Amino acid sequence: MNEVRSLTRRRFMMATGSTLAALGAGPAFAQQPRLRLDPNEFQPMPIAIPNFAGGTPSDGDVGVGVAQVITNNLKRSGLFAPIDQAAYIDRIVNFDVAPQFNNWKSINAQALVTGRMTRQPDGHLTAEFRLWDVATGQVLTGKQYSTQPENWRRIAHIISDQIYERLTGEKGYFDSRVVFVDETGPKERRVKKLALMDQDGFNVRYLTRGSDLVLTPRFSPSTQDITYMEFGQGDPRVYLMNIDSQQREVVGNFPGMSFSPRFSPDGQRVIMSLQQGGNSNLFVMDLRSKNTTRLTDTPAIDTSPSYAPDGSQICFESDRGGKPQIYVMPAGGGQAQRISFGEGQYSTPVWSPRGDYIAFTKQGGGQFSIGIMKPDGSGERLLTSGFHNEGPTFAPNGRVLMFFRDPGGNAGPSLFTVDISGRFEQRVPTPGFASDPAWSPLLS
Amino acid sequence: MKVKVDKTLVAAIVLHVLVIGWMMVSFSTKAFVMPEEETIPVDVISADQLAKVTAGMKSGKKENPKPLVEKVADAKPADDAVGKITDKAPVVTDTAPPPQPKPVEKPVEKKPDPPKPVAEAKPKEETKPVEKKPDATDPIAEAIKKEEKKPPKPKVQAATPPPQPPKPKERTYDQNQIAALLDKRDPAHQAVTGDTLNSNAALGTTKGNADAIVATWKGAFVAAVRRCFSFPYNGRDADQFEVDLDIQLGPDARVASQPVIVGVRGPTKSIADALGESARRAVEQCQPYAAVLPKDQYATWKYIPMTFGLKDML
Repeated sequence: MNEVRSLTRRRFMMATGSTLAALGAGPAFAQQPRLRLDPNEFQPMPIAIPNFAGGTPSDGDVGVGVAQVITNNLKRSGLFAPIDQAAYIDRIVNFDVAPQFNNWKSINAQALVTGRMTRQPDGHLTAEFRLWDVATGQVLTGKQYSTQPENWRRIAHIISDQIYERLTGEKGYFDSRVVFVDETGPKERRVKKLALMDQDGFNVRYLTRGSDLVLTPRFSPSTQDITYMEFGQGDPRVYLMNIDSQQREVVGNFPGMSFSPRFSPDGQRVIMSLQQGGNSNLFVMDLRSKNTTRLTDTPAIDTSPSYAPDGSQICFESDRGGKPQIYVMPAGGGQAQRISFGEGQYSTPVWSPRGDYIAFTKQGGGQFSIGIMKPDGSGERLLTSGFHNEGPTFAPNGRVLMFFRDPGGNAGPSLFTVDISGRFEQRVPTPGFASDPAWSPLLS
Repeated sequence: MKVKVDKTLVAAIVLHVLVIGWMMVSFSTKAFVMPEEETIPVDVISADQLAKVTAGMKSGKKENPKPLVEKVADAKPADDAVGKITDKAPVVTDTAPPPQPKPVEKPVEKKPDPPKPVAEAKPKEETKPVEKKPDATDPIAEAIKKEEKKPPKPKVQAATPPPQPPKPKERTYDQNQIAALLDKRDPAHQAVTGDTLNSNAALGTTKGNADAIVATWKGAFVAAVRRCFSFPYNGRDADQFEVDLDIQLGPDARVASQPVIVGVRGPTKSIADALGESARRAVEQCQPYAAVLPKDQYATWKYIPMTFGLKDML
């Protein structure tokens, strides 16, 4: 209650303050015509991230590592241009003293990150950082974290998210993980294992041993569970696995093949395709009651369902019109509306966590492309095209997509990220070949 | 005691006072005003800006991808072709003339009257009409065809004029016909030149060029702030985000107090707020503006209301 009151009061004061300011000089400004500035083209924001200071001499290495992880994260987002440390005039040594802003202005930094990593006597690692506005010398944000020393990369990701959010006004996506299919061995005898990694490709962990073929892993939006399809002894089945305990179970016991599973936004249901003869239809299963509901009943192949973030609608792929296209229908089933009308075939639709776009794979003209469109089918835009691009998955903030690309020949697939403007494309490092990525929600 | 007043004297005095008073009022208003010297529009720009205006953009489209051809022989006069090209309506654009002829000299000529920032911001559009010319100048193809047809059947050609829109595929390249490709119109012909150079022409002595001068420092000021303005946004609907900033400047052309964000608009408030901060940061980062703001016109730029948007970013 007190919090609400203080918030209201603060808002009122802010409003009053700006009103007074406007009243003070208002008429003078009102007499002038308003100038207008729109940037000619996109420019990433120059930001300086010097190495974090070490609280003790032995903490220097981790300070360098944290600054490096933050630098790489912000750079890969495409929105920031971290300035090369070789250009620095100043090196932040004392975290407690305000930086010499003129030294940072002169290298055109708009924002500056300073920090300190300190190993505590109890073995914990304390991380502190401040984000400075170089022009005004104000602290934009600053936080302190304490963690186990081995979690230093995660701390760097959390700090990256704080910086991203403060400067862009949007949630970050760096403190997240990606589950994917790790591929090793020659092309005709590929071993495919489920693997988990940080979104920047570090801390890879294997979840299966590779004895059975696995496909299409998907993260739960609310728990540390994944669902995927595995070719066991009999028909391929949809499985559920807890990534911490690595316990797994079959989702439902259906005759025939079940495939292309995905969680509902609340994590309580799994939607998937069930094969029935030459056709397949969409079903949803409640994970608690195990009740299964049929959503489509067509003599066609309906597959790759994906929920809207509010859970009210589903987009999916269907060839009921002759060629695979994307359709949208109410989450409980009903009339489906076709939304893709371009040349070629559309598949693997996935709804953005922000709800503003549906990403897809498009096949046409001898190429596979990754694209996005609005949920009503308008505004289609291809972000990347080539021999084989497939399987887009959205970052938790809906601003970046990850997908896999196979160059053909004897090489195998690898993972890439591209932002939704299509401007910044980056390869994600993986130990071997990799396909079918699925992005987790934010961990914190 | 009675004083005798001469009524005629009083009347004379009153009349004189009235007449002289009327003369003082009516003759004094414009008595000694010198005719105003017509103001020549002069824009104060920094060397930096001049370089920017004249240098072009590295990332811009290649203006003239046609390869250069060495001269192999004297050009034959291609009268027909030249005639045709001249008949064509001149290309009219709002912006600066294309950079092809004498790129070094042109900007120097323009120095006293630099293009408006609008022109500066659209280097691509500026050259488009010129680039498209080869496609549009069908007379070239016609001329070549004519040259080929001429010797055998001059009469037939006269009877059947070449079709107006010949297909591009029919066009062939003949290096002996280079003269036909040349546009021999006078460069000054282009409406562009007149529009741009005379855009700030005198508005009349009663008003002078005050408006034009203010407009030029405005452009320079916006350009100066633009150098420091970068907002990290890669989403769409960018044209819906706008921020109004009130900037108060001191006589030293530095911000007198932190610029005030008086309005933010956009589908997502947190993004619009961040845009406001970016705008404020840009204004503070790029100060002082002494190089672009004329000191003697402080009153005109003491208060600068400005709107920042993302319209042209993507």
